[in-house]
Amino acid sequence: MGSRPAAQVGHSRKVYIQRDYSQGLGLRYSTAMPPQLQDRMPEDLFEAAIVNINQILAGAENGSVGVYAESCFACLTGYLIYMCMDTHYERSLKEVRKLIEEYNRTVFMPRRLMMIDPSERGLRVIEVVLLS
Amino acid sequence: MPKRWEVYPGKSQVLFSGRCISAKNLSVFYLTLALIVISSCLFLAFDCRLLAVTLSPSVPVLAAVQFIFVLCCLLRTTFSDPGIIPRGTPDEAAWIESQLEGPQVDRDGNYRPPVRLKDVQISGRVFKLKYCFTCKLWRPPRASHCSTCDNCVDRFDHHCPWVGNCVGRRNYRYFYLFLISLSVYCLYVMVFGIVNLVLLSNMRKDFLMAMKESPTSVLTILVAFFSIWSVVGLGGFHTMLICRETSTNEDIKGSFNQRRHPDLINPFDQGNGLANCCYVLFGPVTPSLLNFREDEIGLGSSISLVTNNGRNGTASAAAASTAVTATPAVRYSNLTRNNNDATSNSVGHVNNSVQVISESLPAQLPGDGNDVIVKNGNGTPADGVISGGTDTVGAQNSNTQSASSVHCIV
Repeated sequence: MGSRPAAQVGHSRKVYIQRDYSQGLGLRYSTAMPPQLQDRMPEDLFEAAIVNINQILAGAENGSVGVYAESCFACLTGYLIYMCMDTHYERSLKEVRKLIEEYNRTVFMPRRLMMIDPSERGLRVIEVVLLS
Repeated sequence: MPKRWEVYPGKSQVLFSGRCISAKNLSVFYLTLALIVISSCLFLAFDCRLLAVTLSPSVPVLAAVQFIFVLCCLLRTTFSDPGIIPRGTPDEAAWIESQLEGPQVDRDGNYRPPVRLKDVQISGRVFKLKYCFTCKLWRPPRASHCSTCDNCVDRFDHHCPWVGNCVGRRNYRYFYLFLISLSVYCLYVMVFGIVNLVLLSNMRKDFLMAMKESPTSVLTILVAFFSIWSVVGLGGFHTMLICRETSTNEDIKGSFNQRRHPDLINPFDQGNGLANCCYVLFGPVTPSLLNFREDEIGLGSSISLVTNNGRNGTASAAAASTAVTATPAVRYSNLTRNNNDATSNSVGHVNNSVQVISESLPAQLPGDGNDVIVKNGNGTPADGVISGGTDTVGAQNSNTQSASSVHCIV
């Protein structure tokens, strides 16, 4: 299947945080820290980071009056307005991306970890790479 | 570097260089399109000639507007991503499958296949999540795998051959709008086709003569009449489904059929038909997760990095990951914290966003009194020390004064 690039990491050096469906179908990731990270960062810090990410994602999927109004307006313009602006969901995902980049720079990289934005993984998992 | 649409593994058809996706077999869709377009053209060309003159020119205008609306809804349903969940990367698959119980032989010597179910409880109702071996992911509660398109689709409704695509979370509202607008349009065409024939027969004093004079009217009336039964019926069925916040797939499987089992509650039902309608038709919609137009950064090792001016696009990730294979130093030069860099406008940006972090993360990071020392490539500690102790995370700006490049070997 072709040669893998030198940077390819085997699965033992990546951990995956799965979706948490206990509160419903909303975008939410499990706050349980995988055991492989225990020697690299404290559990509360990890949990706080995931909780913050979940907070922004919760806003993405909740239907509020503003979201409905935006959808109705978009429908009336034949959805052409989305060529000029992002949907509410996309804006939330961009906020998460920015937050994860900041976390990588300030919290994870110094601990030789890197968190991959879940949008890069189809919102299935949050991938954390253990760097050596 | 290939784009993601070029390496898409499913059976759907990707069109226009990754901008559209539909089912592979579009023959029934072409039939739908032909029926709508040909009937409309016949109606507008022939029936409207008399109607515009006798009744009002707004009759053909309204017909044209409806025709365009129906076409837009149909094309949007057919060519948009229904909510396909992208397949898991090989590393993810290995991680999950290593955690599944393998095949076992029990005491009676019977073979038990690998367990790939897990239970999750949502608002008092237990759902069994399945692990999809094709897509290498835990299927979300309302998702289902479409065998025609070989994808897992979120909130899978059904695969509609008439529309030439799966109907799922992202395109359900367009599908429903298509059904409703087509019902109204069929009725409109049928009614005004009959009106046209009646007017013509009044002028010619003979109904049969009128029919011979305008055979296209008869054709459009027949097509509209037979379409109405199915389209209005389907529209009514989906209206009921929307009000109950159920999908066709769940309805067929009886997932929320409380008449059979009272404990099969629907936790997604907001209790009120109107609230359900609002959520399904006007609620937030996920962007397409396929990201077809982006580069496929080999086997799932894409990495998002903060670049100097805070650009977030995956173009920077692509550049970064190709740099990983070449020179690690080049990759991480982006992380140099040089506060004297006048050309970089990241400092202002960094300050704003770091403020966010210091507000949202606890000020005290409990149990983490250790300083994390960043080493240079030659092993000596860098000048700056990133403190994870009693300072807030945001305060590390003041600690790392000089440029310190971090070499990390992945």
